[in-house]
Amino acid sequence: MSEPSWGKYGTWEEAESYLGKVIGEDVGVDAVELGSIRRWLEPKEFDCALHTDRKAANDAGYRDVLAPSTMVFSYGLPAYWSPGDDHAQIGDEPRQIPIPVIFDVPAPCTLSFASNIDMEFFEPMIVGDTITRTSRLASISHKELRVGKGAFMTQEDTYTNQNGEKVAVVLLTIFRFVPPERKEG
Amino acid sequence: MNMDVHRGIASVSVGDEIGPISIPVTLQRLVMEAGANRDFSLIHHDRDVARATGAPDAYMNTFFIAGMFERLLREWMGLKGQLNKIQNLRMKVFNCVGDTVEFKGIVESVDESNNHVAVALSSNTDNGVTVTAIATVTLP
Repeated sequence: MSEPSWGKYGTWEEAESYLGKVIGEDVGVDAVELGSIRRWLEPKEFDCALHTDRKAANDAGYRDVLAPSTMVFSYGLPAYWSPGDDHAQIGDEPRQIPIPVIFDVPAPCTLSFASNIDMEFFEPMIVGDTITRTSRLASISHKELRVGKGAFMTQEDTYTNQNGEKVAVVLLTIFRFVPPERKEG
Repeated sequence: MNMDVHRGIASVSVGDEIGPISIPVTLQRLVMEAGANRDFSLIHHDRDVARATGAPDAYMNTFFIAGMFERLLREWMGLKGQLNKIQNLRMKVFNCVGDTVEFKGIVESVDESNNHVAVALSSNTDNGVTVTAIATVTLP
């Protein structure tokens, strides 16, 4: 299941120099609020009073309505356009979601596929919270697969709220590779 | 959701089945989802771009799938349960426009010492199993 290839090109030595370092950080542009929660529940036909009703949330032990845990990805995203930015033109490159920051790490690869994702949840996201995502390059594991030679690269995304409390930790692993050269004839 | 569901650890056994729930994937639903989760990657709402990358059609993204697993677990747990982890989430087959995707789980282990329950999650379409994962939840 390969996705369009993008990502910086460089050497494995360059890639390994990023290990353990922060490779991306974004402050979510929107605070947790009822409208965005409702619009997120809607396409999933997800009916749960914890995410819509303060009394139900209070009765379950929360101080206010909470967002679904897996909505953390969305609340950690920056704006796609902000006041002061250039206006878009026909022919501009489409905007890409900035979460797979693995592609900002130079590596001698031309293709990729997402391998797996692990997520762990801690503090709930309550209405009014703002979420920050900090991404580190956690590991590079070289491997040769049928699709080509490359490495499983894992980023660790830590999501925190405005009080610095940990909300979630997500490990995203992507295999970046070069396909084998085709033999003539 | 039935507001009376408050599943407790004592009522859960290994092998209990969770769900299924299902959702029909239409292009309109993918657009609604992209607007809501803010992943605007073209492969998830532009059929031509998705097909050009080798997929049969535009397809559900990770956020959508994780959210459907959360819905499955929440409807089963009730309001007092907590979702702790979704691990080893692996995409095996695309969940595309025109598919009806079914999500289900089966209880793999119950630990009454810490009230943790491990659930094997999967989704499937007419093309077979499309996504697998393991969840851990805490029940009262």
